[in-house]
Amino acid sequence: MSDRLLDGLTSRRAGIALLAVTLCLPPFYLDAFWLRIGLFSMAAAIGAVGLALLTGTAGQLSLGHAFFLAVGAYGYVWLAGEPGPGLPPGLAALLAVLLAGAAGGLFSPVAGRVRGIYLGIATLALVFLGHHVLLTADSVTGGFNGRSVPPLTLGGFTFGAGDPELTVLGVPFGAEERLWFLGLALFAFTWFTARGLLRGRPGRALAALRDSETAAGVMGVDVARHRSAAFVVSSLYAGLAGVLLALAFRRVVPDYFSLALSVDYLAMIVIGGLGSVAGATAGAVFVTALPLLMTRYADQLPLVTAPGSAEGFVGPTEAARYLYGAAIVLVLLYAPDGLHGIVRRARDRVRLRRPRTPGTDPVTSPPQPAAAARSKEHTP
Amino acid sequence: MNDRTPAAPPVLGVRDVTVRFAGLTALDGVSFTVVPGSVHALIGPNGAGKSTCFNVLSGLCRPAAGTVTLGGTELTRLAPHRIAALGVARTFQNIVTTQGTVADNLMLGRHALSRAGFAASALRLPRAVREQREHLDRVREIAGLTGLGQHLGSPVALLSYGDRKRVELARALCLEPRVLLLDEPVAGMNAAERARMAEVIGDLRAELGLSIVLVEHDMGLVMRLADDVTVLDFGRPIAHGTPDEVRQDPEVLRAYLGADVQAEDAA
Repeated sequence: MSDRLLDGLTSRRAGIALLAVTLCLPPFYLDAFWLRIGLFSMAAAIGAVGLALLTGTAGQLSLGHAFFLAVGAYGYVWLAGEPGPGLPPGLAALLAVLLAGAAGGLFSPVAGRVRGIYLGIATLALVFLGHHVLLTADSVTGGFNGRSVPPLTLGGFTFGAGDPELTVLGVPFGAEERLWFLGLALFAFTWFTARGLLRGRPGRALAALRDSETAAGVMGVDVARHRSAAFVVSSLYAGLAGVLLALAFRRVVPDYFSLALSVDYLAMIVIGGLGSVAGATAGAVFVTALPLLMTRYADQLPLVTAPGSAEGFVGPTEAARYLYGAAIVLVLLYAPDGLHGIVRRARDRVRLRRPRTPGTDPVTSPPQPAAAARSKEHTP
Repeated sequence: MNDRTPAAPPVLGVRDVTVRFAGLTALDGVSFTVVPGSVHALIGPNGAGKSTCFNVLSGLCRPAAGTVTLGGTELTRLAPHRIAALGVARTFQNIVTTQGTVADNLMLGRHALSRAGFAASALRLPRAVREQREHLDRVREIAGLTGLGQHLGSPVALLSYGDRKRVELARALCLEPRVLLLDEPVAGMNAAERARMAEVIGDLRAELGLSIVLVEHDMGLVMRLADDVTVLDFGRPIAHGTPDEVRQDPEVLRAYLGADVQAEDAA
């Protein structure tokens, strides 16, 4: 039995190694367009994991994710840039993430008082407030036109178009290629830490909060503390995503961080399956990549016109919106536990056909995601 | 690691507790003392204030007057999670479990006994990993004790009603409580499940030596398990004593069966 367990562990390790190698290949084969899709997807995945922790696991509805992304993005630009303190970019990135976490911490007294849909509305105010500040605080944010993003430099290596010139295996490494590996490293960090959280003591406590706050308190969970901690942790991930987005865009503008962005992130975690890291990632890739792919291949799709042409039915951006609107409805109707749930059920079916393997560790399964239609249990 | 206290649990004292909900007096000067290591039953007709009394004991409800003390500590002003940390665990009348496996639920019960915080868990520090493994070992033991051993990896949602009730009990035990509050542990169970649950509760008391406060409508179970019984009616304590004394108390008969029992007895 321990042999089989060991086998399982080895094949798991091998699987992870294979995946890591595969994810390192694209910069050598794909052009900048695909690398940008990957980069935006990775950034979105980091942010979506943060929201999945807050909304999926801890059950706190947030429409303010765009605000925390903006704090991370603008925090980095201001801290590393001119005008601004002009800190070393690595330090600025770290401080920007912490700044987003601090913003979450400042908001947490509000989060500790209001619940459910009311919390959603309260976080909505953050987005409007944030957008207003981004537009008006010209000296820090650059106003309507935004600011250009200073490239990240770590130990003399720039994640930008040169300095030093770099060619790996005959492929010239420009900004996209370099940022790909930065994004990959940050995403791996997010994956590792978020899964550790979910499978550990804090994840169980957050899931208990979602299912019944009274019961969680009676079981020894400090309700107020965990409610605010969920906000801080989620904001830290949002800040990290914001920094990576800024680096990928090379220019930050206020209009990007609007309510629509918050809604996009909610769509990601719903499509992916609430409360799971893998689900949030899948949802993030879907929601991010779809509009970009539609724009690129617009001319080959029926009823969709190429960008810029006046006649025709729908533009590619609108078509992408329709498509993911339809995806959300389909997911809610047929798979309330999202893409992650579909995969899990398929895996269970395969497992049922095979003889059962004993010795699987029950606690390594993360807290189950909340089905969208599930209501809270009543407690006395 | 093993946090069971070998010494007798502290005395749980309830003194003149009064709870009012907007004009309605749910509890009116209730006092009783839970002798260490005993099973103390709280009975009464529906709406007598039994669950409210539990909510006061576990900190979910602040009394307007009166005190609850555990040993030398006053519980009345403490938040629920602080009371839990002192070793007071409870189950709910309607099952309250978290989604996930039985093991997830039981590990949640060990929250107050473990330390790993957000940073340690996120970075999977060796200390957090080791702690989780050690607590999982104890969770397996407790699951065995409550007959849930083979369900440890099953999602709670797939278990039968009786098994889910036992998950709640096991989760409460995972706190290594010194005082265990059981709110209708056999409600809605069939005869076989009831008998099994009664056995488990009896074993717990014998093996772990904890004090148990029990709210239950099943008089058979109360009479079999309880050492002391407090009877509530409309929030007022109307009788105290051993099960036999309480059974013969005219006030209790009146509360349960109606006012004319005494008249018929006299006739």
